[in-house]
Amino acid sequence: MITVKNLYHSYNKDDKYQVKDVSFEVKDGEIFGFLGPSGAGKSTVQNILVGLLQLQKGEATVAGYDIKTMSKDMFNKIGMSFEQSNVYSKLTARENLDFYRKLFDVPTIEPTVLLDLVGLTGKEDVKVGEFSKGMKHRLTFARSMINNPELWFLDEPTTGLDPAIAADIKKIIKEKNDQGVTVFLTTHNMYIADELCDRVAFIVDGELKLIDSPKNLKLKYGHKLVEVAYLEKEKVITETLSTVLLEDKEKLENIIKNHEIQTMHTKEATLEEIFIKVTGRGLV
Amino acid sequence: MKLFYSFVKELKLASRGFYFYVEIFMAALILAVFLFLVPDNFEKKGTEYIYLDMPSEASDIFLKKILDEDLDGKVENIKIKINKKEKNDLLYTTEDKNIYILKSREDVVYMADKERKVAAVVKMDENYKMSYEYFLQGYESDRYKNLLKIINVESSETLEATMNNQDVRPISTDFKFLSDKENMMPSVLVFNGSLMGLFIIAAYIFLDKQEGVIKAYALTPSPVWIYLMSKVAVIMVTSIISSFIILIPIMGTQPDYILLLVLLITTGFFSSSLGLLIASFYKNIMQAFGAIYAFMILMVLPSIAYFIPSWNPSFIKLIPTYPMLEGFKSVLLGNGDWSYVLTISGGFLVAGMILFLISNMRYKKTLMR
Repeated sequence: MITVKNLYHSYNKDDKYQVKDVSFEVKDGEIFGFLGPSGAGKSTVQNILVGLLQLQKGEATVAGYDIKTMSKDMFNKIGMSFEQSNVYSKLTARENLDFYRKLFDVPTIEPTVLLDLVGLTGKEDVKVGEFSKGMKHRLTFARSMINNPELWFLDEPTTGLDPAIAADIKKIIKEKNDQGVTVFLTTHNMYIADELCDRVAFIVDGELKLIDSPKNLKLKYGHKLVEVAYLEKEKVITETLSTVLLEDKEKLENIIKNHEIQTMHTKEATLEEIFIKVTGRGLV
Repeated sequence: MKLFYSFVKELKLASRGFYFYVEIFMAALILAVFLFLVPDNFEKKGTEYIYLDMPSEASDIFLKKILDEDLDGKVENIKIKINKKEKNDLLYTTEDKNIYILKSREDVVYMADKERKVAAVVKMDENYKMSYEYFLQGYESDRYKNLLKIINVESSETLEATMNNQDVRPISTDFKFLSDKENMMPSVLVFNGSLMGLFIIAAYIFLDKQEGVIKAYALTPSPVWIYLMSKVAVIMVTSIISSFIILIPIMGTQPDYILLLVLLITTGFFSSSLGLLIASFYKNIMQAFGAIYAFMILMVLPSIAYFIPSWNPSFIKLIPTYPMLEGFKSVLLGNGDWSYVLTISGGFLVAGMILFLISNMRYKKTLMR
């Protein structure tokens, strides 16, 4: 769905590139997470892919269209939800969606259906200027689905949303992906990436450091540990044991046989810990 | 259809926004000023302050001559405040002048210096030779100064004879006049109707940039020119509404409204395309304000020349508002000069199209940045 080869970009059009030699591929039907701290170059790459920034050096195809000779038809196939909500504040929610649906040449979704999907039922005829930040964000998110996109660009889709709404948004992303929509997710939130993405790419200082599935990354970089809490002479003892070392395995077996277990958890490395380990950088 | 939907959306935005009502309010305000405060024709009488520095016998003859031209043949005794003191002076009212006869040279100098009036001292020396001393303000043209010099060199009889010998024939007998009030309408139409578009379209673009909606629009299959044209169309609609609000109550049925509509549309298209192009070089309205202001000042110059016929340098004719003013004047006269107005309209249409095409190219590259 997306192919990027040796992509470079400099905002000053000099050789001080903000994006350096980035190459990756996004397969049809996958959720691809593009992860990195603020200023890493995530949005720059995404903006080049959707045509908001000019392609300076390198090659990229999106939904079968070469970005260099981009056709307006491409926009019938893609959708984008922006991090900063950008809807007409003087129009109502319905008017906003009604206007945008008329700009597409493909079948579109009824505004009421979309508003219902993002929990804005009953707010159809309220001017967006009266919406809260979260409601505007949900409307921007809803608008990005209006043309039934094959490829869906999501820029920080849950940022600033309360947990219940963020959960709804994640559910919608999952459902759309199940229907075959390819998702390009740009975020610095490792939890949503871990939860949703089939594969993730780590970008730092404009360079791609790694691409793999969250599961593989955890296997590769995570410690295989078990944290166990058990009773010994009426005292709770907590120990962290390796599931790989023979000595620890025997100790765990012994604890299970001879003691009352209070709690037992496998301890996996989080994606954030792996990111820090791989890039040597935090996510903020 | 996309253009229509985009236009409807822009109309909704405009009707719920600030600038639309500013334009309508301005039109209503201008109408009120013209209906209730501006007379149909202005007082064209000149005012002169004169001190006669001559023996009383001579000044009596001089005043008798002025009195002969006085409209009611009577001199008025009036009080004039000069240098914080009220002074008794004389006023003669002729067909084209109000002539105040002051009592001293100092009073004349005061009126010229402090009150910025046309003032003169008429002297007669011991040889009964007349001399004239004028106090000017410094901005008078050479033509006017030369006129003052010559008017007192030749006798009035010689001047009158020369004037009478000149054969002046109008090349058209079927011409109409506008009253002074009506004569101001072309200028009003140019600024309220056409040039407001230059500023307001830039404001609309920057509002969209601020809300970020341009980025969302850029990610639709709809071309940029539709986005721009829908804004231009809204500007043209508001310009037509505001122009008609002013014009219909003042001018009634005299103007040729079909031609007026054509000229308003083409000049509105031209100025809003110019506004689009200027706005394409800036990120926000504060940055663009200087350039827009400079263009508007430039566009004002032909209006100055329009009201001051003695100041009419050749370069003025190159400024687009010059033909706009002439075109609107022709339409308001209702003399049916279709070819003249349509030629001007065609010129603005072509110029507007060129500016619009350049703007479209620039916005394709810069709209979302």
